Amino acid sequence: MLEMFDYEFMQRAFIAGIFIATLASISGTFVVLKRYSLMSETLAHSALVGVAVGLVAGYNPLWVAVIVAVLSSWLIEYLRSSFSLYSDAILSIILSGSLALAVIIVSLGGAFNNSLFSYLFGSILSVSNEDVITIISFGSLSLAILLLFSKELYFLTYDEEVAKTSGIKVKMLNYLLVTVVAIIIALSIRVVGSLLIGALMVIPTAAALQFRVGFRDTILISLFFALFSVIFGMTLSFHFSLPSGATIVMSVISMFVLSLVLNKK
Amino acid sequence: MQLKFKVPIFDVKNLSFRVRGMDVLKNISLEIFQGEYIAIIGPNGGGKTTLIRMLLGLEKPSSGEVRIYGKKLRSFKEWHKIGFVPQRASLVDENFPATVEDIVKMGRVANRGIFSRYSKKDAAFVDDAMQKMDIVDLKKKMVGTLSGGQRQRVMIARALASSPEILILDEPNTGVDMVSQQRFYKLLSQLNKEENITIVFITHDVGVIADDIGRLFTINQKATICNNPKETLSCEDMTALYGIEAHLLHNHKHEH
Repeated sequence: MLEMFDYEFMQRAFIAGIFIATLASISGTFVVLKRYSLMSETLAHSALVGVAVGLVAGYNPLWVAVIVAVLSSWLIEYLRSSFSLYSDAILSIILSGSLALAVIIVSLGGAFNNSLFSYLFGSILSVSNEDVITIISFGSLSLAILLLFSKELYFLTYDEEVAKTSGIKVKMLNYLLVTVVAIIIALSIRVVGSLLIGALMVIPTAAALQFRVGFRDTILISLFFALFSVIFGMTLSFHFSLPSGATIVMSVISMFVLSLVLNKK
Repeated sequence: MQLKFKVPIFDVKNLSFRVRGMDVLKNISLEIFQGEYIAIIGPNGGGKTTLIRMLLGLEKPSSGEVRIYGKKLRSFKEWHKIGFVPQRASLVDENFPATVEDIVKMGRVANRGIFSRYSKKDAAFVDDAMQKMDIVDLKKKMVGTLSGGQRQRVMIARALASSPEILILDEPNTGVDMVSQQRFYKLLSQLNKEENITIVFITHDVGVIADDIGRLFTINQKATICNNPKETLSCEDMTALYGIEAHLLHNHKHEH
């Protein structure tokens, strides 16, 4: 079992995976409660545009993905607050638009290959030293912001207007939250893949909510589910040579089903 | 007579609100002073909630001005002095992961800086607010499992935890049974008398107005201010009439 850690790529994948599980589950709590679940899907596809640009132009795809995802999150938040459009319609438009753009860039650049496949579904083999450093540095920053503003974010998630009338900078915090979520999603595409990251952000919280406990405990349960799923999923990925994103998502879904069964009314 | 030399908490001048050419509120002017106990009544759709939302900066007036403690809304910073309990307060999302204590603690968030942690002082305010609202033994309960009356008290405790000077409540009795309602008015008047907290609450139900209301604002596009509802018996009649008359007018318009 533990012999997998003899491989350096597995050590890197585990460090990156544990970091991402932590980030995705904590930010995911706010994402789910704010009804932003679909947003994580959309940002994952926007991140793919960054990956496409990176692959074709020869930049580090992870860096470009972070930048494109953040810009996309600002665009979504701006459209949502400035136009009378349904927010799920906005998300849906940007989701397909991003995917279309990514496919065009990749096709023109002739980069349709295994490397792209690994960004879609995650690959433990592909996590480089540079990726680990990027994930740890951006990830620590995101985690610090989430922890620093967790009380404010919790309040505005509960009732945005009351939070506003209490003097909380609601608009600024909303932008901050989507920015952090965009960064986390872009960082996750190495290990989980852009088509599957939405699941790691949303499902641990959806499962934790079944236990009907307070805010702190909900985050802790969500964190536990995410960590377990990532570790178990990556182990399966190693032993059966499967894309890590897929095994992680199947693990987290089984956690969700277990939560449903345990908390049946 | 109001203490006119004092700066009012709210000073509203010629406030109007129009939506697609229709007047929701027209030329409202009023003042709210420290220590007052004010009920706002009027028919549904008469603009009560819109007025409150403009006072709190949640809605921009078409014309006119709101000042809080003498300051323009934009430059007002001391929002912790204002406790707001919105209409839907007792109808929370039942799945929201919050204990009663989690909710009341939210009342302290804006009072402290970003880098300071939840202190003993914060905890004291939270405990005190829960005691006043008699919800200490519900502390660890999930808010989704409470009754309407209990939730209402939790929401007010949240507002009280920030040690406000004024409490603004929009239809606080939505989804609350009669016994809880009576208990609730008692609590409000206690807060007003013992803690000197200014109370402003909206209701569409003229029948439930408590005896110890100081002033009554009737809002139906325009404001009618009744300075002594106890002695002026006709005030309540007028109010009722005002509401009915408005409804008749409204129906009349619809027929054409």
